[in-house]
Amino acid sequence: MSGTIATLVTVLQSDGIIPRGSRVEVFDAIYWVFLVLGALVGIVVIGYMLYNAYKYRDVGETDEDAAESKKVERPKLGELPRGGGGGRKLFLSFTLSAIIVISLIAWAYGILLYVEEGAAEEPPTEQAEALEVQVEGYQFGWRFTYPNGHTVDSAVGDSFKVPADRMVRLNVTSADVFHNFGIPGLRVKSDAIPGQYTQQWFIAEDPGTNYTARCYELCGAGHSDMTATVEVMSQEEWQNWYEGTGNETETGDDGNQSDGGDDDGHALEDVLEEPVDYGMEVHA
Amino acid sequence: MPDDNNGDDGSVPSGERDASPESRADGGEVTDGGHAVREELPAGDEHGHDFPSMGTVKRWLVTTNHKDVGILYTVTSLFFLVFGGLLALLFRLELTTASGSFLTGTAYNQAVTAHGLLMVFFFLSPFAFGFANYFVPLQLGAKDLAFPRLNALSYWLYLLAGGLFGLSFLQGSTFAGGWTMYAPLNLPMYLPEGVGSTTAVMAMIMFVISVTVSSVNFLTTMHRMRAEGMRIRDMPLFSMSILLTVWMMLFAFAALLAALIILASDHILGTTYFAATEGGSLLWAHLFWFFGHPEVYIVFFPALGMMAEVFQTFTGRRIVGRKWFIAAMTLVALQSFVVWMHHMFLTSINLEIKTLFMATTIGISLPFDLMVFALIYTMIKGRIRFTTPFLFAFGALLLFIVGGITGVFLGAVVLDYEFRGTYWVVAHFHYVMVGGAMAMFGALYYWYPKMTGKMYDEFLGKAHFALSFVGFNLLYFPQFVAWETPRRVYNYQPEFVTWHQLSTVGAFVFGLSFLLMFYNFYKSYHHGEDAGDAPWKYASSAEWAIPSPPSLENFPGVPSYKGGSLSFLSEEEVHGAAAADGGPAHGHATGDAHAGGHDDHASYWPLLSSVAVFVLFVGLAGTNGGGTVYTATAALGGLALLGTAAGWVVESFHVSEPELASRWPFDGVENTKLGVWIFLASDVVVFGAFVGSYIFIRVAEGWQNWHHLLPADHVVLPGLINTYLLLASSFSIVLAMVAAEKKSRAGVVAGLVTTLVLGIGFLINKGIEWSHFFHIHSEHFPEGWTFGTNVASSTFYLTTGMHGLHVTLGLLVLLWMIPRAWRGAYTSTEDGDKPLEYFGLYWHFVDIVWLFLFPLFYIL
Repeated sequence: MSGTIATLVTVLQSDGIIPRGSRVEVFDAIYWVFLVLGALVGIVVIGYMLYNAYKYRDVGETDEDAAESKKVERPKLGELPRGGGGGRKLFLSFTLSAIIVISLIAWAYGILLYVEEGAAEEPPTEQAEALEVQVEGYQFGWRFTYPNGHTVDSAVGDSFKVPADRMVRLNVTSADVFHNFGIPGLRVKSDAIPGQYTQQWFIAEDPGTNYTARCYELCGAGHSDMTATVEVMSQEEWQNWYEGTGNETETGDDGNQSDGGDDDGHALEDVLEEPVDYGMEVHA
Repeated sequence: MPDDNNGDDGSVPSGERDASPESRADGGEVTDGGHAVREELPAGDEHGHDFPSMGTVKRWLVTTNHKDVGILYTVTSLFFLVFGGLLALLFRLELTTASGSFLTGTAYNQAVTAHGLLMVFFFLSPFAFGFANYFVPLQLGAKDLAFPRLNALSYWLYLLAGGLFGLSFLQGSTFAGGWTMYAPLNLPMYLPEGVGSTTAVMAMIMFVISVTVSSVNFLTTMHRMRAEGMRIRDMPLFSMSILLTVWMMLFAFAALLAALIILASDHILGTTYFAATEGGSLLWAHLFWFFGHPEVYIVFFPALGMMAEVFQTFTGRRIVGRKWFIAAMTLVALQSFVVWMHHMFLTSINLEIKTLFMATTIGISLPFDLMVFALIYTMIKGRIRFTTPFLFAFGALLLFIVGGITGVFLGAVVLDYEFRGTYWVVAHFHYVMVGGAMAMFGALYYWYPKMTGKMYDEFLGKAHFALSFVGFNLLYFPQFVAWETPRRVYNYQPEFVTWHQLSTVGAFVFGLSFLLMFYNFYKSYHHGEDAGDAPWKYASSAEWAIPSPPSLENFPGVPSYKGGSLSFLSEEEVHGAAAADGGPAHGHATGDAHAGGHDDHASYWPLLSSVAVFVLFVGLAGTNGGGTVYTATAALGGLALLGTAAGWVVESFHVSEPELASRWPFDGVENTKLGVWIFLASDVVVFGAFVGSYIFIRVAEGWQNWHHLLPADHVVLPGLINTYLLLASSFSIVLAMVAAEKKSRAGVVAGLVTTLVLGIGFLINKGIEWSHFFHIHSEHFPEGWTFGTNVASSTFYLTTGMHGLHVTLGLLVLLWMIPRAWRGAYTSTEDGDKPLEYFGLYWHFVDIVWLFLFPLFYIL
């Protein structure tokens, strides 16, 4: 946690108020600001509430109360409802809360603009071109199609291989029902809707790391198991692998990264469970 | 001071009669006169309806009294709480391990889906409406709702809709596509085999019909039957919250009704709305969330109103900034219809729309800040008594603050991107929704003494609060910590397993705490102390000024706030006041002057009609794939429905409108007409949703890229002929009304018969057209152009078919009216032509709808 806050501070310092960088960095910055402020507001408001509840608890009628109850008007049975005054204080607190919320959201909106537009215009790394990948969800797995037409399929145990430090743009759709493609570790998520294409991007920073992509919209009996492994490779490794894929027939088999002695990749393949057969036809 | 005149009709014991004069004498305050709790009174039998006592089963089958119906709603909703709760415990057990254990994928999906649907639809709202039924008329000063039989109908439709939903479990599998029912997973091709899924959809439709009937009833009541001197803004906050809730319900549920009818049509008729690759999936999301976001407030507002009441009573303070509180609620109610796309930030909607909906979403969160502060400030200078109701309301406010703050996170779109589909959302809305439910449990303790006449056990109540509050937080707070878990999976990241186990423990603590509540209520009902009329000091609304439980006719006189606070007028006073005011609106009030009146309270028809609908829907659900047994069942149900409808209208059921009431802004309309208006307003939204769906799908397909989906024989002429037929029929119904004013019996009959003939002509013309399309053998459509041929045929048949159904219903009513007109029913008495006017309104509406459909489906 302290590491994350340190990240947050660095991000804020280096990039001004609007954090930039990978989606993980952006998310962490905004999440922790919201969390800290939210917790603070929550503690103050709830604390004040508990304090008042205690302070004005009924302790039976004392002399002071008796004196005060002459001044304080109490609701009477059968009266037409009316307010108890105190409007100014109410408005003050309301304005304060509105200012906090609106400025927070305005700030978050700046980040949204960065995520949606800024990042598109200026790729944060020296790698000029982003990698564009088609992602197609189906019951129950994910198909990833690279620019050269190579397709990998999570249901037969293929992993989704991406280069580190390079922007990856996803063009997400579905072959059947509404899915949602998300890689929580990379803070990217997108609805996968039949007949629609949704665009998202991410940058993975650590080569050799594996992430799990999951489905975030209920899509049927196999929803819980609809995962895919996202494998981050160094750029050369990835390039080597990728160049070997272009001319092959798209059998979806995973034997084509045998070049580079990719230990992580193989370890991963061992870990992968047997592909679950939901009786779905896998068409490449 | 004229004497209270109620003693003589037997509905008020003499001890009760003091209340009114006393209250007038001391400046309007109604004192707690310590009236004894009375036996249930034998009701008048003058109109041939005997009204059995509360101890009999028959009473509960026939009752139309709002207090009885309120109790029925409350008890039934608690049953569904247990049902939905057990399902939750089932999948919480499954979630104690990070990988699948004992539930299969389909079983798990059924459990989470049914849990959501049961809790949101069959528990939360009906629980709130149990209180609304019981207390809104009391708080307003009305004897009952405007249409007591329709109120009973709402209840029975609700109960049997729940029964239908339960039945779906036994038909292979209930609906398993999540409570949001996203398309196209909501279609038979993706759902588990069997009729169950369709039955669940039909159950939802039945529920929505119940809600619509109820909305019309409440709106008419609340706008036309408030006690003299009580303006809309003077209503107690609970009633105010219900008024806004019901307005939202009227329109939001209409959109859901359209969505569900389309879904049922996709299931049963084989139309292809949601299977349409271009836009079908998004269409559902738009329709569902257009309903779904207002639904959040529909569920929460009553809880908020109850919190406000409980806070005022137990702090002994009037609420701070009352008019701002009301303004904030009104703003939220309006704005709730323009925030729905924040549920769809990750769909392909563009940045501009995201920005707009982010702004409206944040905008709608601010009024809640104001309401929360108002409640907190109300405690200042209070004399706070920590009774069970207050503890629950206080706890609910605390939970709502947590739910609200975590909701702001979701308003920031970039955060929403990550929270979408995770336990953050689950935890957030449970803090809000179940937090609201906590307030309602508080309200149950608050009003229990009024409803039963007995005081609950305070110790057990507090123990229930303590256990449930701890259980609640143990259940939902760990879900924030483990928020990266995807929703609705049983296979999740192993690092969160401890948090989910804690959550499961919390679920059991929370669930078991309700055993205390049930035991407490059971025990107190039989052995509790008598509560007296006003057990709570500083309670101010009218229900506390009458005995616990209140008598059948509620008040010892005619309630009035004219003097600034509640008093009960005698008949003479009422007549004096009414005469001074120029008499009641439109002379619809009866000659029956008794406040205690001779209104009817018993009818079998609401129950029987609901059973007929139940049978019809069971059958309809299975007509596509269930076999002929289902078709026969549907036919049986349809006939039964016609029969019960006839029984309903034949039954003489007397309900008087109050002579003296605040009716702004509907002074000039009588209850039934207002009811018809309100119903038509919701029907406008239903048709609006149908037309909107057609436009949405056509735009997705390409507006001009549409005509190749239509057969060449789809020409303008049949539509044009039908337009003339309907326009002519609108004219003939006007002629009938003119004739009725002139007391010309023959003229009325002629007008109605002409309308009937024109309407039948419309249907015949349509039948010929449809039959022709069905049997086309063209190059493009060798198999005919039927419901499921393509999106164009689907939208054409379903939209114009819905209209045709409206025409058919109208004609059935005409068939009923013509013989009555022949016997002079609409010409023999002063106000006899009213039914003609109501029917005319409906018929004009149906014609106007056609004027929109004709260009959309025949010309463009």
